[in-house]
Amino acid sequence: MTTVWAGLATGAIYSLVAIGYNVVLLASGTFNFAHAQLLMAGTFLAYTGAVTLGLPVLPTLLLGAAGVAVVALLEERIAIRPLLGRSDAHGALITTVGAATILDGLAAVIWGREPLTVPSVLPDEPLTLLGGTVRPVDLALIALTLLTGVGLHLWSRHSLLGLASLASAEDREAAAARGINVRLLGTGAFVLAGAIAGVFGLLVGARTYAVFDLGHSLALFGFVAIAIGGSGSQLGGLIGGFATGLVYAFAARYIGAEFPQIVVFGVFLLILFLRPRGLFGAALERRV
Amino acid sequence: MALLAHRFRLPIALLLLGLLLAAPAAGLIDAYWARTVMLIAILSLLVSGLNVVLGYAGELALGQVALYAVGAYVAGYIGVGLGATDVFLALGAAVLAAVAVGLVTGIPGLRLGGWSLAMVTFFLVILVPNLIDVFEPFTGGTLGLATAVPTLFGAELTGDGLYLLIVAVAAIWFALVRNLLLSRHGDVFLVLRQSPILASVLGVSVYRLKLLVYVIGAIPAALAGALFAMLDGFVAPETFTFALALSVLAASVIGGSTSVYGAIAGALVMQLGQQTLTRFQDWQLVIYGGFLLLAGIVFNRGLAGLWHDGLAAARRRGLLPKAPAAAAVAEGEAELGTLDGAVLRTEELEKSFGGNKALQGVSIEARPGEVTALIGPNGSGKTTLLNLISGFYRPSGGRLMLGETEIGGRPAYRIARLGVTRTFQTPLIPKDMTTRAFVATGRYATHKVGIATALLRLPAFRRGYRADDAEALRLLRLLGIEETADRPVDSLALGTRRLVEVARALASRPRVFLFDEVGSGLDESDLRVLEHAVGMIREAGGTVILVEHNFPLVLKLADRIHVLSQGRLIASGTPAEIQADRRVLAEYTGATDPADLEPAEPRKGGR
Repeated sequence: MTTVWAGLATGAIYSLVAIGYNVVLLASGTFNFAHAQLLMAGTFLAYTGAVTLGLPVLPTLLLGAAGVAVVALLEERIAIRPLLGRSDAHGALITTVGAATILDGLAAVIWGREPLTVPSVLPDEPLTLLGGTVRPVDLALIALTLLTGVGLHLWSRHSLLGLASLASAEDREAAAARGINVRLLGTGAFVLAGAIAGVFGLLVGARTYAVFDLGHSLALFGFVAIAIGGSGSQLGGLIGGFATGLVYAFAARYIGAEFPQIVVFGVFLLILFLRPRGLFGAALERRV
Repeated sequence: MALLAHRFRLPIALLLLGLLLAAPAAGLIDAYWARTVMLIAILSLLVSGLNVVLGYAGELALGQVALYAVGAYVAGYIGVGLGATDVFLALGAAVLAAVAVGLVTGIPGLRLGGWSLAMVTFFLVILVPNLIDVFEPFTGGTLGLATAVPTLFGAELTGDGLYLLIVAVAAIWFALVRNLLLSRHGDVFLVLRQSPILASVLGVSVYRLKLLVYVIGAIPAALAGALFAMLDGFVAPETFTFALALSVLAASVIGGSTSVYGAIAGALVMQLGQQTLTRFQDWQLVIYGGFLLLAGIVFNRGLAGLWHDGLAAARRRGLLPKAPAAAAVAEGEAELGTLDGAVLRTEELEKSFGGNKALQGVSIEARPGEVTALIGPNGSGKTTLLNLISGFYRPSGGRLMLGETEIGGRPAYRIARLGVTRTFQTPLIPKDMTTRAFVATGRYATHKVGIATALLRLPAFRRGYRADDAEALRLLRLLGIEETADRPVDSLALGTRRLVEVARALASRPRVFLFDEVGSGLDESDLRVLEHAVGMIREAGGTVILVEHNFPLVLKLADRIHVLSQGRLIASGTPAEIQADRRVLAEYTGATDPADLEPAEPRKGGR
C-alpha cells in the first residue's frame, strides 16, 4: 500500500501537468510543451519564497501563483500569439520547445544546476493510512490535485466561460462569430494554467526538489497521462496521471530501479498503438 | 554564360569536395581544423536527418540523439565484442539498428500526428542513460566503451584515412538526400507537411509516407553515431544528452529545415559557436531556446532561405546570370483526350455525427460524360456528401459504389487511387514549390517513379520526371495559365489557385471529379475559364460532381441537379425541372408558408 501511496503522489504531479496541458488545449487548441517548465518555475519560486525570503505559507503560494502566471503570460505573448492565424500548424512545435528551453536555461542561470530542497509545509511524520504510510504533504498533493482536476472538469462542462472555451478550441472562427473573445480566452487559459502550476510549486517541490531540468521528465509523464486519458479530457488526464504514477512506482518496486521509465515508455507505445485517442477519448473525424 | 555556370555546377562541387578531402594530407589544414571538419560533418548528418523529418514531412523528431547513440554503441560493440571492425560492417549494422528503432518508435508515434512523435522521440532521448545501464554488458554502462580501431579491407584506418571516410560518407549522404528531396518524392513530402488531407487526395497513405520519411531520417543519425565512435575511439553516456538534441534542433532551424544543404550551414554555425564561445556555456540553453523562438516566429527559412533570397535579388539586379529557363516541352495542341469516367452511385447513404443526422437516405447517381450538381442551403449536407465520397468520413449507413466497387468506409488515399479526385472550398496549396511541380504531384500515385530510381538518378527517373513536367505544362496550357508554371504556387491569386487545383486533379487522369464550391470568390473571367474546364472534362467522358452555391452557374453547367435540404434529398431533375420546382424555390427564397407550396413529390432519381 505504501507503493500505492507513492505512486499516487508521483502520479498527482503528472496529473497536474496533464491538467495544465488540457487547460490551454481546451481554450486555444495549442499544445503548450513548456507547461512542465511552468511547474518547474513554481518549485523554484516556492524555494525563493519559503527559504530565501523566509515567507510564511500563504504569501509563498501567492508569490508562486503570480510569478508563474506572469511567466505564462509572457510565453503566450512571445511564443504563441505571433503564430495565430498562420496557415501551417507546425510553428508552435518549435516555439514552445524554444520557450521551454529558455525557461530551463534561465532557471539554471538564476538558481544553479544543483537540486534545491523545498521545505515541506506540513509535519514530516508519515501517517499510516489503509495499511500504507504516506507523508501528509503527499496526501495534501493528492487531494488538492483531485480537487483541482474535478473542479476544472465540472467548470468546463457547466460554466458559461468553460463552454465558451470548449467552443473556441473546437472552431476559433465560429466561436469568435458568436461574440467570444477567443484571444482573451487563450491568454486567460495560459494565465490560469500558470497560476495553478505556481500554487502547486510548494507541494510539488517538497516531493521532487527544485531542479532546472525537472521539466523534461514531467513533460514526458504528463504527456503519457494525456495519451492514456485522451487529449482535452480533464478527468482522463487526471486518471491518466495517477495511472502513470502507479505504473512507475510498481515498476520501481518490483522490477528494478533502472526500469520504471522504460516500463512507462512501453505502456506509452502500447497505448499509442492500440488506442491512439486514449482510453477515454472519443474518435474524432477529420474535417475538410 | 548562364548555361555554362549551370552545366559546370557538378564538376565545381566535385572539385571543392576533392579539395576538402585532400586538405589535411596536403597540409592545408592542421589537426585541430581537421577534427573540426569531421565534427561538422558528423553534426550535419544528424541535422540532415532531422531536416528530412521536420522540414519535409512536418513531424518533430527529437530523437536524433538517441539514434546517434544507437549507431555509436552498435558500431562500437560489434568492433569490440564481435571483432567486426570493418567500417562497412559497422556502418551497415548501425543503419540496420536505426531502422529497427525507427520502426518501433515510428509505428506507434505516428498514429496520431501532432505531438505524439515528438514526445515518443523525446522519451527515447531521456531513456538513453537508462538503456545504457540496462545493457551494461554490451555498453560498458556509465564507464563507457572503448572501441576497436576501424579497418577498411583489413587495413587500419586512422588519421587522414578516417578523415577521408567521414567526409566521404557525409558527402555521399548529402548527394543521396539531395536526389531524394529534389524529386517528385520531395515534392510530395512538402505536400504532406502542408496538408495531410491534400496528400491523401493525391493517393498517398499519410501514415506510411510519414513512417518512411521518419525511418529515412534515422539513417544519417546512426551513420553519424558510428563515425563518431570511430573518431573518438570511446563512447560514453555523457555524449548523448538532451542538450545535444536541442543543439541539433537549433542547427536545423538556423540552417533552414526545409533545405538540403542548410543542415551543413547550421552544423557549421553550431559547431564553431560551441568551440569558440565556451564562456557562454552557462547561457547555452537560453541561446538555443532563443534560436528556436526566433526561427519559429520570424525567419523560419533559416540561412538557406536567406541564401535563396540573396541569389534571387542578385539575379534581379543583373549581378548574377539568370537561372536557365526550364527547357520547353510538349509542343502541340493541348487536348484532354478521353477520360475513363465511372458511374458513382450512393444508395440510401446515411451519416450522423453523434445525434446530429447530417445525411439521411441520399441516393444519387453520377454518370460519365455528365455534370451532376448538388445544391442546397448551408448545412444541407453537400460537403458532408463530398467528404463521404472522397473517404474523409465513414458512412453511418447505406452504400457508396464506384462502378461495381463498394468504396464506403475505405481510407481516402485508396479511394483516390481508384480514380476519385477533388478540389477544395479553400484551395489546398503547398509552399516552397512551383506550380508545375505541384501539378505534377497529381501524378505521384498513378505514374510512380521508385525511390531507389530517384536516389540513383537512373534513366527511368529522368524519363518519368520529363513526362511529369510535360504533362503538367500541357494541363496548365489547357487551362490557360501556362505562364504560372515556374512561379511559386502559393503566390498565385485565388482564381488561379482554383484552376491550378483543376490541373492537379486532371494530372492523375481521374475517373470521377468532385468540385467543392469551385466558383465561389471568382470573378467573371475566371468563371468562364472554369466553366470551359468543366465542359472539357464532361466532353472527355469524365464523371463530374459539382457542389455549388451559384444557382445560375449550376443551371448552365449541370446535366442533372440534386437538391439537398437538412440532410435529405428534396428534389432531383434536369435544370429545367429544378427551376420549376416550387419546393426548391421555397428553400432558396426562404418562403415558408406551406399554403404557397404544392405538396410536390421529390422526384427521386426519376428520369
